[in-house]
Amino acid sequence: MKTKKKPEMLLPDEYNLPKEVTVIEGKDATPCLQFTTKMVTLYKQTYGELSPFFFGIRDGKLIGARCRKCKQVMVPAASWHCPECNFAAMDPVELPHRGVLAATAPITFFPSASFVGQAPFCRGYVDIATDAPVASFLPCRLRTTTGIPRPGIFVKGVELKIVFEDDRQGTILDIFAVPMAEIPARLRKKEPLLASQLNLGRPSVPKVNENKKWKDPFKQALKDVQSLARSVTKGSRASKDLAGHRLTIGVNTGGGRFSMIIADGTLRISEPRPKTTAFTMSAEDPTVFSKWVKGGSLSDAVMEGLLWLPNLEAFPPLYALDRLPRSIRRDKEEK
Amino acid sequence: MQRRVGIVGAGITECRGRWVEKTYWDLFQTAVREVLASAKMTVDDIDSVVYGIYNDIFEHQAIPESSLTGLIGMTNKPGTRVTSGGATGFYAMRAAIMEVASGVSDVVLCVGGEKATDCYDPLSKSPTPMVINTIAYSWDPFFENPLGATANDSYMQMCLGYNDSHPGDIGDPMVRAQIVEKLCKQGNRNPYAQRRDEHVTVEHVMNSRWIIPPFLRLLEACMYTEGAGAVIFASEDRARELAARTGEPIIWVRGMGAANEAYAVGRGGYYKPLDRIVSDRLAAERAYAAAGVKPSDIQIVELHDAFVAQLMITMGEMGFVPIGRTRALIDDGIMADIEELGDKKRPKGKSVLVNPSGGLIFGGHFVGGSNMFSMWSARREMINREVPLALVHGTGAINACFGGAVVLELDEGGSR
Repeated sequence: MKTKKKPEMLLPDEYNLPKEVTVIEGKDATPCLQFTTKMVTLYKQTYGELSPFFFGIRDGKLIGARCRKCKQVMVPAASWHCPECNFAAMDPVELPHRGVLAATAPITFFPSASFVGQAPFCRGYVDIATDAPVASFLPCRLRTTTGIPRPGIFVKGVELKIVFEDDRQGTILDIFAVPMAEIPARLRKKEPLLASQLNLGRPSVPKVNENKKWKDPFKQALKDVQSLARSVTKGSRASKDLAGHRLTIGVNTGGGRFSMIIADGTLRISEPRPKTTAFTMSAEDPTVFSKWVKGGSLSDAVMEGLLWLPNLEAFPPLYALDRLPRSIRRDKEEK
Repeated sequence: MQRRVGIVGAGITECRGRWVEKTYWDLFQTAVREVLASAKMTVDDIDSVVYGIYNDIFEHQAIPESSLTGLIGMTNKPGTRVTSGGATGFYAMRAAIMEVASGVSDVVLCVGGEKATDCYDPLSKSPTPMVINTIAYSWDPFFENPLGATANDSYMQMCLGYNDSHPGDIGDPMVRAQIVEKLCKQGNRNPYAQRRDEHVTVEHVMNSRWIIPPFLRLLEACMYTEGAGAVIFASEDRARELAARTGEPIIWVRGMGAANEAYAVGRGGYYKPLDRIVSDRLAAERAYAAAGVKPSDIQIVELHDAFVAQLMITMGEMGFVPIGRTRALIDDGIMADIEELGDKKRPKGKSVLVNPSGGLIFGGHFVGGSNMFSMWSARREMINREVPLALVHGTGAINACFGGAVVLELDEGGSR
């Protein structure tokens, strides 16, 4: 018997609050009351004149609008009347599935409430109609097959391939752009190129060049993380940070390797690599880990592009690890 | 302008991250009470009101100005609400100024504010992701909002674009950190500033957490503020009459300029370029032309600083430092030193006092009234320091960068 797949709902169950009125103290310790409430409007919003573009997305095509007079191309087709030519008619035009990144793109690490759990992600503007004298840019998600997006990948001028999700309903998230250099040569001209034809979820760990200059910093980093691990004692704040996580993380650096074994609210550091790891993180510069132990953060190193992570799943344990130095300090302060 | 327009009073609430003690009703009323008391005026002196409120979702009421009318004493008077993103305050003041200049009204109250942090995100158990979510509704529902565009992204992508074209300028973290340190010291002197008790140094900035590398660390970003600000504009005759009550000099609106860019980003034509804030340049040039002044005549600037890298570009666009070398703000000492100037002295030589209020980063950013906050500070500093000319700037509305600039002039004779 076929079971019908439950559609993804707009509002997740946990995105809610109990109906209540509670006391809250202000800056001057004046008690006030606050009530939980909401402002929700559900829509069945028409795409109207934008429908040809989104029908195109469903059909695996990229549709722009070209002005009959000035030949400018709007990407996406956002209007059928050229605002620069006294609203002269514009015609649909099928566009190539490649382009150039118009400017270095920001990476979102701290998303809006609606996107929690999806970060980090990258969005930028792709110049698709490069032959047109004037053109608007396609706002687009940018993805890499080489792990978490990091600085240096989505920079101005990088050539991009537009990739289509296999299942498409007609939203702007049905397409995304990947650096052309990451697309196998045989697939570069394919239109539409489907997401399933690329290796997006399981990137290979980048090779770190072992270098003599990293030997001493590695020894220090290893000492630092071992000392940190010893401070995560049972029942401590730090131990609570790790509760619920049970995994082994491989760490590759330019000075050597180690592993972090998280289990039952403890952290253990092992130099020999255990047989199975949940994932590997990689940083050429081992001081990334010393800085973390001294009160910095691993996620900052990811944001700066110094620490490589394979995918989104690597983030929850990373955030737990980030909290450790502060928790240990607070535990010590209490003692 | 058909008639000369003068500012006879300005008042703001204390800036707080959250006002548990006040709803937006009382915040707006507090600002109105402040301005009227300080200008020795009553509601009977006011002909009409212009409201600046950016976002209905924050106030949790469509047409939030409707419930304010009676509470601020504006019953049976005309009232207009203006909403133009981050530039809401500027455009509200522009509407008030035009109303006086045209002769339609003689005395106009302009009040703006925001109640932003009642928003709450149940997943993180904190307001911030929901505040950002609310601002993200400023993006369109077809493309940018579904892509996850955030409040920071609009100006941040311009900073990244600018850095592509002009490397080594806003990209120097030391220069940005030095600007933050200066802004902090200035904010310390503002009794209404949200972060008036903080002491942020270059080292603190360099060690603060990243929000969006490589241009935005936590200590380089503006805040969310709850508060309100009010400014009273009057015709020349009425301004002179009203100013006599307090003996405070009138601040004249000498010139005003505005420009909005396209929302769609692109190459050529009318599309929004990613490496400039063209509207800042146009708005300032138009204001200078209307006032008959040059940037070098201006010694105080109160500008909308969403974050420091954008402050640098805006100062470049407005002609105070060259585009591509806005770091001259620090390198060439263009940003005045508040410790040297104290509360009374004018900036020396080519130096400019930039955001003496602490700006939106240390002072406050109650969106619908942030530019009234800037206006309040510019007026205060002009009077205290006897500075003849100042510039107030506003910008906002995501990619479209609604931009505005007003040149202010201290009444001849300065403080009396």
